[in-house]
Amino acid sequence: MAKFLLLAFRNIFRNRRRTLMTLLMVGGGVAGLLLAGGYFAFMTHGLREDTINSGLGHLQIFTAEHFERDENRVLDTGIDNWRQVAASVKTGEHVRGIAPRIDFYGMVSNGAKAVGFMGSAVDPEAEKSLGFVSRIETGRDLDPKPGGEVEALIGKELAKSMNVNVGDGLTVLAMTSDGALNGVDVQIVGIVNSGAPERDARYLRITLPAAQRLLQSDRITNLVVGLDSTENTDQAYFEMMPRLNGLPQRMELKKWIDLATYYKQVNSMFNGIFLFMGIIVFFMVLMSSVNTLLMSMFERTREIGTMLAMGTPRAWIVALFMLEATLLGAMGAVIGLAAGNLLGMLLNSSGLHMPPPPGYSVPMPFRVRHVPVQMIGSSLLVIVSLALASILPAIRASRLRIAEALSHV
Amino acid sequence: MQELVNVEAVSRRFALDNGQARHPVHSFVSALSNANLHVSAGEFLAISGPSGSGKTTLLNLIGCVDQPTSGRILVDGVDTSKLKPGSMATLRREKIGFVFQTFNLIPVFTAAENVEYPLLIQQVGSRERRSRVAEALESVGLSARAQQRPDLLSGGERQRVAVARAIVHRPALVLADEPTANLDTHNATQLIDLMHGLNQRLGLTFIFSTHDARLLEHTERIVRLCDGEVVSDNSIDGGSRG
Repeated sequence: MAKFLLLAFRNIFRNRRRTLMTLLMVGGGVAGLLLAGGYFAFMTHGLREDTINSGLGHLQIFTAEHFERDENRVLDTGIDNWRQVAASVKTGEHVRGIAPRIDFYGMVSNGAKAVGFMGSAVDPEAEKSLGFVSRIETGRDLDPKPGGEVEALIGKELAKSMNVNVGDGLTVLAMTSDGALNGVDVQIVGIVNSGAPERDARYLRITLPAAQRLLQSDRITNLVVGLDSTENTDQAYFEMMPRLNGLPQRMELKKWIDLATYYKQVNSMFNGIFLFMGIIVFFMVLMSSVNTLLMSMFERTREIGTMLAMGTPRAWIVALFMLEATLLGAMGAVIGLAAGNLLGMLLNSSGLHMPPPPGYSVPMPFRVRHVPVQMIGSSLLVIVSLALASILPAIRASRLRIAEALSHV
Repeated sequence: MQELVNVEAVSRRFALDNGQARHPVHSFVSALSNANLHVSAGEFLAISGPSGSGKTTLLNLIGCVDQPTSGRILVDGVDTSKLKPGSMATLRREKIGFVFQTFNLIPVFTAAENVEYPLLIQQVGSRERRSRVAEALESVGLSARAQQRPDLLSGGERQRVAVARAIVHRPALVLADEPTANLDTHNATQLIDLMHGLNQRLGLTFIFSTHDARLLEHTERIVRLCDGEVVSDNSIDGGSRG
């Protein structure tokens, strides 16, 4: 077997120029896939962490009712005694902190004009401790213990629409939990530019006590749990689930991925593009290799005839050609991995920037992540492609008529 | 002596087409007609005749690399016309050694690895392979060149490697097709002496095709072919037409 492998290996280098061209093509395909896949991975990884750190957190706790029916009134499916719920999970492994939230909606008015908003109420201290930092373009973040007026952050587009700036006042109107209309005057302390203009056109954030006064409820919508690392999400999820049993309200725990609709869309789009590129590389390698391997087969017709004449089983000839192609694919993959990773490192240190992704206004730095799964996948792709490309030449070689092959010139 | 090869009323015709895929018109050319030949174990036999007389065809048929159109061939008592391709390959692998006009060594293998090849496909253990390869190379006087690749060997050395490859698995029969055709006189004479010596020393049966007079001088039995027919066999004719 070792000698057979040696024969296959040495056969690869019989025509060095042709082998070099094949290796460059295969290596180029692998390197291209690694660079594209690595960039996509960087984008999705960045989006993932951005999504989580912009306030989604790693896990979120809701009442089960929240997912079973629509709210008739604001917060009527909210968490009653949220401090008890928070206490039951905050000692969990990997838990870095817990932040209560209220999601509410209503109208915001400057006296002359009213616009709808999608608001959130937060505990600024808890948010800060979890690293959930709003992208404040001008002004400052909410004060955890404001003295006088209710403070608010609003989105850049909303501020533009309402023609207000930091220090100006607005009136926030919302329905209370009793179904009455309530209002509170707020002072704008910061303008937020999240990078997504659509979100910024509806963005309003106030403190939790202010929202509870506005909505006239002690309830909250959910608790956001921050972990030490995104990679620990599954482990923390399964560890936390039993802790939520036995509470007065039935609770439901959600992972960030279940709530990150936009991230999932972007991720599946990149996966689709990567798959498409993989298919192109697969067929490119397959088609060009068939021709190369057929040429190699024709050149070795007399030698194959000799091997068959000496009694070499035809299956061995098939195996020899497939082994040669597989080795060639593996060598091409190694070259591609080296080139792809090296180019990736060079690009990472180049400081290049790419246009903003869909829905964002901030340019993305060009970085390439080194993803082991992509390296293995790309390598397997070209190896399988070459092995498949060798089937036709291998079968033709094994079916040669010996007498004719021996007289082949 | 025990009969090793029986060629009984063997004919071989080849189809020729006019090269037009849509309207092929087939004609046939007869390469061998009603040939009969009996070879005993241990013989040193030459098949002679001009180009196109059917020497290579007859060797191919005896060597089971081609099938007769009619008639039958027995090798070591086995009727090769009844064998399936796999069994033919086994027969070739175990009982026949080949020496080709153009040496046909595997260029990426060293001399020793080329000689080892028939043992590899017989799946002989590595220790035994090593000793038999050394023995075969010793018998052709090429032990010192064992690690050279064919492109670094002279024509004579290449053909001696081919002979070592043909005998390393101890076949019942060695077939050599024009073994001296690509050799100069010196190397041709050396090769003839080598083959004859192996025949005498090891009792190996050699059947070779040639029209090399130097080789024929060393050969006791000569079968002459002309236009696909056996026209003389000095073992039958008592040498009168040889």
